[in-house]
Amino acid sequence: MKEKDLYVDFKPQQAVYYVEKDDSTYGPVISGSQLSHDYLEDFYFKRKNLEKELREQLADNQISPVYYYMTLQEIGIGDLASRVGVSKRKLKKHFKPKYFERLSVRIIKKYATIFNIPIVSLLQLVIVKQEDQERIEFEYMNTKNDCFIITKIGIKENE
Amino acid sequence: MNKVIDFEHRMAAHCETGTLTALLNYNGLQITEPLVFGIANGIFFGYLESSNFPFPTFIVRSRPGQIRENISKRLNIKLKKYRFKNAEKGEAQLDELIYKGIPTAAQVDFFYMTYMPDWQRVHINVHFINIIGIKDGKYIISDSYYPKKSELSKEMMRKARWAGGFMAPKGFIYYPVDVPESIDLKKPIVTGIKRACRNMLSLPVPFVGVKGIYKFADKIKEWPSLVRDTEHLSHEIMKINILLEDQGTGGAGFRFMYATFLQQAADILKNENLADMSKKMMDIGDKWREISYFAAKIGKNRDLGKERLNELSELIRNRGDEEKKFFRDLRKMV
Repeated sequence: MKEKDLYVDFKPQQAVYYVEKDDSTYGPVISGSQLSHDYLEDFYFKRKNLEKELREQLADNQISPVYYYMTLQEIGIGDLASRVGVSKRKLKKHFKPKYFERLSVRIIKKYATIFNIPIVSLLQLVIVKQEDQERIEFEYMNTKNDCFIITKIGIKENE
Repeated sequence: MNKVIDFEHRMAAHCETGTLTALLNYNGLQITEPLVFGIANGIFFGYLESSNFPFPTFIVRSRPGQIRENISKRLNIKLKKYRFKNAEKGEAQLDELIYKGIPTAAQVDFFYMTYMPDWQRVHINVHFINIIGIKDGKYIISDSYYPKKSELSKEMMRKARWAGGFMAPKGFIYYPVDVPESIDLKKPIVTGIKRACRNMLSLPVPFVGVKGIYKFADKIKEWPSLVRDTEHLSHEIMKINILLEDQGTGGAGFRFMYATFLQQAADILKNENLADMSKKMMDIGDKWREISYFAAKIGKNRDLGKERLNELSELIRNRGDEEKKFFRDLRKMV
């Protein structure tokens, strides 16, 4: 690839690419990601649709929050089972609401750590109204008690 | 206590080669990322179907960790390595090394690198970073994928180093302890090329090397039967572009970086044939990039009917034919 054919102006995602330079030598240059520059909107469009669909299934008691986050974060079943320390067969049971409600707090804490979410997010989804999304901010504060999180909700300072 | 090591941060195409190259440079050995990649026979292909992945996927480089091990062996560089079951001990060891002023590489789950953009962060246990300081209770990170030095909380680093799961990092850290200032690279380059040819052509496994490219070409036609809906298929098809271009490959699934390696190798070995092969590999890379563009375009347009997937499959199959010829020719030149 010629250097002049590479450059994409996309500051949020930069990467190193190896190209042919004007003097015919090959070497590294930094450019924005063409895929993200052209198609990030489409990525979020699909993601929002998936989130909505999974949320409806959650509310309809068809799936558990474990399945919801696993699907959104694209973790393989074998990988997730190994991270939690259960068999794949047992993990698949955790996808069903009736088994999820029997899980111990210890296991729920493990899921929260893996998904990098506050433990409460496995039991409730907080959605900010579309018109307020730019203004509202959340701060999750861990305490010495692993099962107790303080959530601060406020208006962003620059508003 | 704060300690920040004077370490030059540079972006690199790939995390494993970037991290290792930066550590070798810091320790006085001037070597480029493509030479590290090529000497360690990093170039590869594999089509993988496993419950460890949410969907069938492919890899374009050798097994994580192999680059480090091959470089250590072929350049006779001694690495000090640690793994820990106990996170507290592992954290204490890392902190001790930083306070001693030793930049240290760590294996982490990329998902927890919270300084990266949201859309890039996926659970993958084989990301490598250099840790170059501790400041105000946070680690200072030199990550090849990020334009500047970054910070990560100790809590997040612990999650990332002991993420568990497939290819779990187990708190793995390493640093070079014995690095010669100059090394004769001729023999290691030849070994790296020979091994790369063997891995691409001769491994007796039906889903790796050139056979892996053919398998990918065949299997992609079955993807519509594995997805939830059209948007899921579009997402997976567009991920081909990410895996080839954006997930730390230097473009075209490492083929551009390998072309650069061959050009540098031609200079070192004074071998004109390798310079020609370098150009051929650049052409092959350009054609892989065409696949990336094509996949992104049909994914965005949801133009994912049988005909289009057959077209994509044919493009991939052609790359298999070209790489088979390329590596057969390359094998004869060293």
